[in-house]
Amino acid sequence: MTALLELRNLGIRFGGLRAVNDLSFTIEPGQIVALIGPNGAGKTTAFNMITGVYKPTEGQVLFAGRDMTGNPPYRIAGAGIMRTFQTIRLFSDMSVLENVRAGCHLRVRQSWWQGLLGLPVQRREEKALTERAHEILHRLNLDQFAHELAVALPYGVQRRVELARTLAADPKLIILDEPAAGLNDNESAALSQSIFSIRDKGITILLVEHDMNVVMNVADKIVVINFGEKIAEGLPDEIRNDPRVIEAYLGRDDEEEIS
Amino acid sequence: MGTFIQQMFNGLTVGGIYALIALGYTMVYGVMRLINFAHGDLCILGAFVGLTFITSFGGGGHLGAAMVIFAFVAAVLVVAAAGVLLELAAYRPLRKADRLAAVVSALGASMLIENGIMLVWSPQVSVFPSGLLPTTTYHIAGASISFVQVMIIAVSFVLMAALYLFVNHTRFGTAIRAAAIDQDAARLMGINVNRVIASVFVIGPALGAVGGLFVGIYYREVYFTMGWTYGLYAFIAAILGGIGNIPGAMIGGILLGLFNAFAAGYLSSSWQDAITFALLIGILLVRPTGILGERVAEKV
Amino acid sequence: MQNLATKYGGALLWIVGLGLPLALNDAWVAIAAMFAIYSVVALSEDIILGRGGMFDMGHAVYFGIGAYVTGILNVNYGWPIFATMPVAMLLAAAVGALLAGPLIRLRGDYLLVASIGFNAIFVLAMQNNLLGLTGGSDGVAGLDIPRLFGFQLASQNSMFWLDWVVLGLVILLMNNLDRSEFGRTLRYLKQDELAATMIGVDPRKAKTLAFALGAAVAGLAGTLFAVQLSTVSPSSFVFTESVTLFAIVIVGGQGSVPGVLLGTALMFVLPEVFRGLAQYRYLVFGFAMILVMVLRPQGLWPRRRARA
Ligand SMILES: Nc1ncnc2c1ncn2[C@@H]1O[C@H](COP(=O)(O)OP(=O)(O)O)[C@@H](O)[C@H]1O
Ligand SMILES: [Mg+2]
Repeated sequence: MTALLELRNLGIRFGGLRAVNDLSFTIEPGQIVALIGPNGAGKTTAFNMITGVYKPTEGQVLFAGRDMTGNPPYRIAGAGIMRTFQTIRLFSDMSVLENVRAGCHLRVRQSWWQGLLGLPVQRREEKALTERAHEILHRLNLDQFAHELAVALPYGVQRRVELARTLAADPKLIILDEPAAGLNDNESAALSQSIFSIRDKGITILLVEHDMNVVMNVADKIVVINFGEKIAEGLPDEIRNDPRVIEAYLGRDDEEEIS
Repeated sequence: MGTFIQQMFNGLTVGGIYALIALGYTMVYGVMRLINFAHGDLCILGAFVGLTFITSFGGGGHLGAAMVIFAFVAAVLVVAAAGVLLELAAYRPLRKADRLAAVVSALGASMLIENGIMLVWSPQVSVFPSGLLPTTTYHIAGASISFVQVMIIAVSFVLMAALYLFVNHTRFGTAIRAAAIDQDAARLMGINVNRVIASVFVIGPALGAVGGLFVGIYYREVYFTMGWTYGLYAFIAAILGGIGNIPGAMIGGILLGLFNAFAAGYLSSSWQDAITFALLIGILLVRPTGILGERVAEKV
Repeated sequence: MQNLATKYGGALLWIVGLGLPLALNDAWVAIAAMFAIYSVVALSEDIILGRGGMFDMGHAVYFGIGAYVTGILNVNYGWPIFATMPVAMLLAAAVGALLAGPLIRLRGDYLLVASIGFNAIFVLAMQNNLLGLTGGSDGVAGLDIPRLFGFQLASQNSMFWLDWVVLGLVILLMNNLDRSEFGRTLRYLKQDELAATMIGVDPRKAKTLAFALGAAVAGLAGTLFAVQLSTVSPSSFVFTESVTLFAIVIVGGQGSVPGVLLGTALMFVLPEVFRGLAQYRYLVFGFAMILVMVLRPQGLWPRRRARA
């Protein structure tokens, strides 16, 4: 079976800084993989290379066996990779519903001129898209916010809206950058549940997360990076007890967080 | 060789004027990210104020150098005051608004000043009296260079050097540069950003007034719509150098002046503006941040 | 999120305007016709600027291309006016798409400046009698009267009806745009280009299309403009015209049809109304622009009311 996502010796330099170096790992279909590491380790940068925001200076990104290295972001999205951002990026002028419907962009079949003419076939599709967006809102328990301005909502809700937007596209892989950041305990627990239920729909998940409860709970595999390089990879239990990880990532004071 | 030197001096003269005006655009843009479309009109306002001063106090005949200097002082004072007023009334209320609101406010201000000039002075061309300054001409290798040209080149270079020293070697200059990099951070460091912005609206228009009055003295005539033409050229100069970058505006002004002079000397004049704009677009495409501007990657 | 008033305000203003010829004399009907034409251009600018978020300050180019195509084909080659219309739109669209190539590689203010540059080059090309077709500074004069199914649209009233119908169609088009994926795509790009590409938007394609569409509609207005004046000259398409179009959209309200119509009324009709003020009117006008922006930075009739 080919891996869904494979990074081969991926690396990028910003001027003199090697933000990511020689990073390789694979994600099998249906897996939940966590990428962890201290702040500034290069996690977001790795995500940016996978999603085409940054062009890697070395190495390759393979998605479902296809080399996607250096493709523009919209092509990578088209291949079935959706993501969220460490700092939430919702469309600021739009309601929750409109934001989630934005996620359907790739499913849209109408061409621009059909839209301009307002043809019946286009109107039907519009209706279907709205319905689909409502369904997804329902799945993530967001119905009551549908017509609220998304960016005016509490942080935890905004995170869920962003997640809903990725799901609307029916992706193969979603990439979540610190989805639990800023959530309270209840919300993180709910997030773990959502992640499982997303996986159960057959979607593969790669996430960056600092909340070790979430990571240890959901991840099938953990990849640890520090200073842009991979220092460990394995099952949660292996990572939990890996001295290099404890040394490099968790530091001396933070140890209780892991247990 | 003669033409070459001639065009070089013509280019340096106009380039010095462009640079003086361009500095106002670039300083405002640096601190506020606003294209101050009214800046060119402020500069030409300087020319008209200077002209009024000269004609009402000069009384014709040969005027002393002192009279010309006073005319410059008057132009600088009036235009700097107008600049501060402009910022207070038209831009300050819009600092937190959509940037395009401020752009349109600037366009409105430009129209206001331009038509104000027309009403106060004249809808016709106003002519500067002759004999204001020595008419000495220097002959160098077949080129003839006038005293006025030498004066414009010298004064603009001195002013640019002074501004450069001020911005790079004084505390207040450092505050200006800090505010240009990051207003919020500058505010947190205890810099009074309002004062920085106000100062930029004093320095920019003051230099621009000198540039505007130079336009009048050099071409010996001014017209109320000239603010647009000169403003646009100076603005292009600022972009060529890297908008927001003070030495960039100086270099951009000089280079544009030289480029235009040589383009006019060797190429068809009816396409001159088109050539300048083609150059501008070409440079933007190859190096969008201009000659001295730095590239900043967007962090995600 | 758009409120209902904004959604249907344009259509409402249009219906009210149908009564204009009943209430006005010929000179004023001519002004109303011009209002319709400029509204069409302003709405087309809104596609690029207000909806697409691209600071296009050279929109008079596409307006001008439409006018010149109609003028040249009609006067030099004897084409009927209505036959020139599709050509005007297509050529304007083609130039829009072509210029979009370099323009959309630039961001924000740089795009603005480059589009000013294209405008200046366009006007010079027309003045210098490009290809011997554009008639230099005098332009092209002596356009025919539009004929439709054997009827001559000769009177000012019939011209008004023509312009008003086109305006109505364009308002319809804008409303459809709002409800279509393409219209939303532009809003995604305007609000957050990165987030838009992450949901699969191809920015280059969408922006080029916005330019082509905006240019095509401007070209259509160009045809009407040429017919209304029965002459086409470079001075109608100078860069200050583009500035006015830009200001109309911002003063009226980006992405809001009634806003753009109001903006056109303010920026175009008001100076006509205040002709009595003679030379003071542009002074007043500049002052009004500052005042509107300071008091209503979102424009006169914003797309979405700011939340308290
Ligand atoms: N566009 C960029 N330009 C320069 N340096 C960058 C850029 N993006 C990220 N970096 C640097 O790369 C390193 C890794 O950052 P990042 O991937 O955001 O870390 P994290 O693991 O916390 O997500 C940091 O030192 C950061 O400053
Ligand atoms: Mg990060």
